Amino acid sequence: MAGLFAVLAAAHLLASGRPVGAITGLLDGVVDGQAEKIVWELGVPRLLTALLTGAALGVAGFVLQATLRNPLAAPEFSGVNPGAVLGILGGLALGLFPADSAAGALLAALAGGALGGGITWLFSAGRDPAGLVVHGLLGSALLAGLTTMLLAYQPSRFGNALRWLIGSVEGRVWEHLAFASWWIAGGIAVAWACSGLLAVLAPGDDHAASLGLRPALGRAVALTVAIALTAGAASLAGAIAFVGLVAPHVARRLGGGVPAAAVTGAVALAGADTLAQLAGHLLNGTHRLGVPAGVVTALAGAAVLIRLGRSQ
Amino acid sequence: MSAVLDGRAATAARRPVAPWAAGLGLAAVALAGLCLGTPFVAPQDLLSAAPDSITHVVLWELRVPRVLIGLAGGAAIGTAGLLLQESLRNPLAVPELLGVSTGAALAVSVCVVWALPVPASLYPLAGLLGAALGGLATLAAARTGRSAGGVLLIGAAVSTAIQALLLAVMATADRLQYDMLFRYLVGSLSGLMWEQTARALPWFAAAVPLVVLCVPALGLLRLGDDAAASLGSRVHLARLGVLAVATLLIGAVTGPCGPIAWVGLLAPVLARRLRPYAGVRLWLPWSAALGALVTLTADLAARLAFAPVETPLGAWTALAGVLAGAVLLRRRAAS
Repeated sequence: MAGLFAVLAAAHLLASGRPVGAITGLLDGVVDGQAEKIVWELGVPRLLTALLTGAALGVAGFVLQATLRNPLAAPEFSGVNPGAVLGILGGLALGLFPADSAAGALLAALAGGALGGGITWLFSAGRDPAGLVVHGLLGSALLAGLTTMLLAYQPSRFGNALRWLIGSVEGRVWEHLAFASWWIAGGIAVAWACSGLLAVLAPGDDHAASLGLRPALGRAVALTVAIALTAGAASLAGAIAFVGLVAPHVARRLGGGVPAAAVTGAVALAGADTLAQLAGHLLNGTHRLGVPAGVVTALAGAAVLIRLGRSQ
Repeated sequence: MSAVLDGRAATAARRPVAPWAAGLGLAAVALAGLCLGTPFVAPQDLLSAAPDSITHVVLWELRVPRVLIGLAGGAAIGTAGLLLQESLRNPLAVPELLGVSTGAALAVSVCVVWALPVPASLYPLAGLLGAALGGLATLAAARTGRSAGGVLLIGAAVSTAIQALLLAVMATADRLQYDMLFRYLVGSLSGLMWEQTARALPWFAAAVPLVVLCVPALGLLRLGDDAAASLGSRVHLARLGVLAVATLLIGAVTGPCGPIAWVGLLAPVLARRLRPYAGVRLWLPWSAALGALVTLTADLAARLAFAPVETPLGAWTALAGVLAGAVLLRRRAAS
């Protein structure tokens, strides 16, 4: 596994097109020279952002799919992810926090994510949790409409908002990571600790109750963890689609639980960002944003989802 | 247009009250669309505005085309929604979730952003092409997906992928183009004058006889695939034809106005609710009239709610449509 990560990290850093000497030069533990400084200040945080965000989304999706007992549950279909984006953009538009503040973005994403999850929950209150996805789609559309309303006030901000709407891991620096990494690591740890709870909840409410767990309470705890993780991911990278849907499936195929979902998500997003960087070189210069990682995950994820839908 | 819809609605009457109410509602909203705003024009002054006054220009160059295209576009989207839902036998099959309107938006944005040498008069055609491609992608992917839920999820996947491509295209746009593109992508009737209206209306006119041709096919498709086949209907061909007409309608609207979200869900749902025991033949004019009503009302809200800032029409219809969808699901679950 360490080898896999090493290869991935090397590929990701090399794909940025910076000189190899600057990357290998970092291995001695000292940042000297401008080229090495650039890699250290931009390339490495970008890699870590991709890994962290992917891990958070993978675990959030895993928790959602287990508690809602629906293989198609995912942060982006439950209203949480669009809500978090709405929160961030709303906070920025109202000037509640400066654009580069990590804590502000996280708080806004949390508030928005909780709002989005709450709307979905209101739509589907008292229903079978397995049917939640359709309600989640509706709730997500509602939140997207609200985001549009917000952007319509200042369409000139739309260019900056694109980053959050598509999902991009570019442009994050150590300060952002310093804050969000603790949050995400904590969330994953809690989710891991809840593995037993998830295993009890997954087969059904009756099963959980017969084992002495109150299903509603257990589900509330698990969903809170999922919302917290999704908000953490959104505060770093915006609305990255499909990682939270696909990574848990791969993790289950591999026979793993929460840690496997985290690793799969991290590998998936870092891989997608590597591809995005390569594509960015091909489109050299035409793209102001570069190619955002969110585009790659959306295209790849759509293909996977179509396969899933066919087998339904 | 309003008179035509009223006439069709009146022939559809079983109880005489409701069609009159729908007609009155349409007339009232259209009148409000002409009168309200800055400058306010009193209803009795509509025809007597001096030819060179600002009022006259605003009224005849801005508001009349806008109301016309709102009527025609809303009716088209409402009809298209009903066609999609009936032919796929799924009350949640809406243009937004089938990749059709996103496809149209993508095609038009590509033309605008990359400055492709497409004359502006062919933008409806570009929208049409994009709509057809998006819809085809969904249908091809969903070919083996049997359940309604499966088709919807595949549609959502295709829509999301097209949306991502759309945003990627937008990222290459000039800062100056953002304002215009944004307005367009959220669905808006602002800035539509006679030029655009005249371009779009022939497409709607062409679609009307095709919609009428669809009615018998819809009646058969409602019976279910097996029953329809046993009656001698070529099910796949019929369904494909109906979907093609729906795509034409959606593409024609998306060309000038952008994707007007969720009217395609809302109008048929309301039509079924007002006339629960009527058949497809009566639901068609009803969804057209209700689609026009919803679109015009939402456009009024968009223009006036936060005046002088104009909010996007698509956001208002999305709010209304999603709430209606939630109510619909609750009722289905309860019954």
